[in-house]
Amino acid sequence: MSNLHEAMHISFKNDEIAYLCGQKSTIAFTKTLGNFFYLETETEETVLFTEPEDLMVASAFGTGDKILRGLQCTLYQLRELGAPLIVLPKGHPASPRLKVVVSIGPRTRLSCKIQPGTHPEQDVLCGSEEFADLEILAEPGGAEARGFSFKMGIVIIKQL
Amino acid sequence: MCTVGGGPDIGNIEALVAKDYECLDCKSKFKGMGRRPMCPSCQSRNVKPA
Repeated sequence: MSNLHEAMHISFKNDEIAYLCGQKSTIAFTKTLGNFFYLETETEETVLFTEPEDLMVASAFGTGDKILRGLQCTLYQLRELGAPLIVLPKGHPASPRLKVVVSIGPRTRLSCKIQPGTHPEQDVLCGSEEFADLEILAEPGGAEARGFSFKMGIVIIKQL
Repeated sequence: MCTVGGGPDIGNIEALVAKDYECLDCKSKFKGMGRRPMCPSCQSRNVKPA
């Protein structure tokens, strides 16, 4: 059943992280605070600039406390420690071993049909089928989750 | 705006829409993307496309 017509506003503070916990996967997001982020490839470095209300969204397959902590750790490293985002070249053996994937910007759309070779300039993030076509949009004081309802899972807000 | 990662594979970074910038205060040069560029070295907004 499609939940695309449903939208939920999720309020959270700048020092908090919001989780959407499904049956098989988990999405986490927090504000970028207008920080910039380094995208590193084998050959060059690109700086990604953001607006204060923009979001950093992380997606992981799996549920439970380990997954929540892993997502929090990823977002904390990026935002608070200024860790760079490492972009692996196509076909790199580490790619299928990634546990958490990240998207940064005002809008992120989850897709379970993502083509191998995600395009970094796009706003699509790999997610499980249960969150297919879910959109996370930045809003003042939080985010809007389009296509999410409490039938699909629960929302948890925690300190980042 | 930017996705890194995607399950079985990631990449195609060459398709990134990034511009070259120069900081008019500290003269550092960098490649950036986004609406409000800022010098990553000195945090100045006084930058211009190179």
